[in-house]
Amino acid sequence: MKVEYINPFIEGVNELFLTMLGCEALRGKVGVAKAKSDPRDVTALIGLSGPARGIVALTFPIPTALAMVSKLLGTPTRVVDATVSDAVAEMVNIVAGRAKSKFQTLSGDPINLSLPTVVRGNSYKVDYPSKSVWLDVPFESELGSFSLRVTFDDISKLK
Amino acid sequence: MKALIVDDSAVMRKIVINAIAQMGITDVGHAADGQEAVKEALSGNYDLVLLDWNMPNMLGIDALKVIRAKGITTPVIMVTTEAEKSRILEAIKSGANNYVVKPFQPEHLIGKIKDTLAKAGTG
Repeated sequence: MKVEYINPFIEGVNELFLTMLGCEALRGKVGVAKAKSDPRDVTALIGLSGPARGIVALTFPIPTALAMVSKLLGTPTRVVDATVSDAVAEMVNIVAGRAKSKFQTLSGDPINLSLPTVVRGNSYKVDYPSKSVWLDVPFESELGSFSLRVTFDDISKLK
Repeated sequence: MKALIVDDSAVMRKIVINAIAQMGITDVGHAADGQEAVKEALSGNYDLVLLDWNMPNMLGIDALKVIRAKGITTPVIMVTTEAEKSRILEAIKSGANNYVVKPFQPEHLIGKIKDTLAKAGTG
């Protein structure tokens, strides 16, 4: 997987933060996600299908997730509940949606998005199948840190 | 003026409601998928529909097609992450009156609503 395929997703994160969260998200160094226990607490995932297959994930520490939801809704949010899960799901939907529109496909057909899924709790573990490479991008913002992870299963139909 | 807000994300519905309240639209109904959207739109109780694309049970674009096939002429604005030109064209061909790509700022959504209602003669 080419590292530059991560760039539309980084742009999607930036657009989300600048437009709806009123602050910048500063990215760190792109790396490869390791298949180990993940100490962070709320992860939103969304699948890509059609001309490209893959998964996009946003992982937020709880304080970051709460700060973002408070900002989005304009009301303090203090506990991780269905509203927080709903919000982070919508965030990964927006990031993936913005990113997929920046890819050109051989057929001209857009990449499709699945419905997002949210995993939360302190004891879950994210395993990455041995054949897949997940690129990991850490971000910092005034609302807290978080990370973006992307893997592609099939990119043969991308230009 | 009553608006139907259709999005499977309750948070996004709240964001849209907060935005349109700034232009004085506070009478709103909700739907969380395309099927609910069709049911609500067919009630004839709405002056405006704000419609997401990717939702469970029935996509927003399919709900739009059903709504128009049933002869409902209520202005519909797609509010969606689907940003490709082909998607926008499909929506317009299917009867959408306007199109807003997420993420959006409240002022942008309000501007699109004003334009849409003015063209529809209901603004």
